[in-house]
Amino acid sequence: MAREWQTFVRKFEDMSEGDVEIFIKDLSPGPRKYDTKHVRATVAKTKEALPDSDTLWIRGESGLKYAEPWAIKVLEELSETVPGQPWENVLDAIEKQR
Amino acid sequence: MAFKDHRDFFDRLEKEGELARIACEIDWDVEAGAIGRRNYERQGPCLLFENIKDYPPGYRISNGTTGTWSRVALALELEKSTAVRKIYREYETRLDKKIPPKTIKQKNAPCKENIMTGDEVDLYKFPSPMIHEGDGGRYIGSWDLVVCNDPETGWSNWGMYRFMVHTKNWLTGWPQTTSQLALIYKQKYLPRKQPMPIAVVIGTDPISHIMATNPFKPQENEAEHSGGMRGEAVELVPCETSDLLVPAHAEIVIEGELLPDKIAPDGPFGEYPGYRSGTMCEGVAVKVNAVTYRKDPIVTMIALGTPPDDSSIAASLSAAVSMKKGLLRRGVPVTDVYVPPEGVTHLIVVGVKRGGMETARKVLDYFTARRVMTNKHIVVDEDVDVFNMAEVLHAFATRCHPGRGIGFEWYEGRANSLTPFYSPEERKRLKGVSVVFDSTWPPDWPKEIIPIKASFNSIYPPEVQEKVVRNWKNYGLK
Repeated sequence: MAREWQTFVRKFEDMSEGDVEIFIKDLSPGPRKYDTKHVRATVAKTKEALPDSDTLWIRGESGLKYAEPWAIKVLEELSETVPGQPWENVLDAIEKQR
Repeated sequence: MAFKDHRDFFDRLEKEGELARIACEIDWDVEAGAIGRRNYERQGPCLLFENIKDYPPGYRISNGTTGTWSRVALALELEKSTAVRKIYREYETRLDKKIPPKTIKQKNAPCKENIMTGDEVDLYKFPSPMIHEGDGGRYIGSWDLVVCNDPETGWSNWGMYRFMVHTKNWLTGWPQTTSQLALIYKQKYLPRKQPMPIAVVIGTDPISHIMATNPFKPQENEAEHSGGMRGEAVELVPCETSDLLVPAHAEIVIEGELLPDKIAPDGPFGEYPGYRSGTMCEGVAVKVNAVTYRKDPIVTMIALGTPPDDSSIAASLSAAVSMKKGLLRRGVPVTDVYVPPEGVTHLIVVGVKRGGMETARKVLDYFTARRVMTNKHIVVDEDVDVFNMAEVLHAFATRCHPGRGIGFEWYEGRANSLTPFYSPEERKRLKGVSVVFDSTWPPDWPKEIIPIKASFNSIYPPEVQEKVVRNWKNYGLK
């Protein structure tokens, strides 16, 4: 069964289709809801563009939810963190690694 | 006798009609937060959610322990009807007293009733609330007490910082980059690329949480001040996996290490200024090595937002008293400082014996000298009651000259990035500006040209006032 995930970006326009490295939150109900996964995944604007995918909700930096869900297919689970110094911007650190 | 923990304070709150136990099942996912928030906005009682969805009986969430002045008064063991001015005075007096903490044996510490270490650590065992819809995660640390040590001087520092559950054994959080925790980390651990042991403590006695919000100077020990404020030593106990000492009667103690080379997302979070405003993904990551907790633990929540709530009330008290001391040290003739909770420490009212722009400038210099958490400062004469915002607003409207009575100061690298009106660029650079409104009469005006306030207490002679007060009922007035 398809699962639902959530991710945060600064601005909605920062989200791009294709293969990405992102942190996602598991929206499955229960005591572990909102557990974080750091993954490599393929994302697309619609489910039609990515068959057999899960749902990905996107929120901006103030927590505002993008009206339409995206689609995500997790390719690989990575470690819980990324290399970087405390207070360094996590999204920039991921970019830097690419 | 001082309250030793969160629970015996609840007993007192219950006796005073200041506690509501919620017995029906509540969802930790947004519902508890929504109830807590609405309750703040209605100035309701402290809440104890006793039946949490997905969690065993006994696991609880509290909200609003000291979220009103009456509950702060009770925490200080004063009458709950004590006036704010009197609470300020009492706090100011007790702040000069210090009682060193007492270290007790682990076997006697309630917070050691249950211990998880290493692979057993699972933060999802606790009903950490998703406080606001759209937050970055479940904040187990919202009304907390975070302990870290300066390894060179032995200074044990307490602060209050947000921490969310990242995974079952990782926390992420956002102590501000200008906080004392950040200062210790950057000066003592980062140069050696060492992890810094920290403990996120949930649910202590009510005063210790308030002490964690107090902006003491570096090297001041909050545990000693908490003892002084309580009139009794705080009991501490060593952590399982570090040398840190933590309040022994706490509900939950999360022991971890702030890592020098790993990061993960924190936030966004609906913060104390009353907004969720873009602070995210710029915090710290903490690997959790152990969790110790009491039987039937209580997660302390603060459904932060528009004031008043525990944060704006505690900051009003602790910040104002520290500011008053600091201004006096700088030679400002202060009578009182008031931090109205509605101003969420962005707006400060300073009463002075002698006003004028020179004094106002000194006030602004004090507030902008180091890390800047405030941005609007109203300076009023001593005839204005700083605790009465109607009087303050009247003085501001009628005494502040829009051309000569306003001064401002820009700065960079030390602003409060949670200030909602700063642009993303300003937040990133910690660039800010503070303003002072001189709402006093110019000190060089001769007495006879100073307008006389047309209030009952100031425009009538004492004998007329006394006569009117004495005969009030005779006039047929209540």
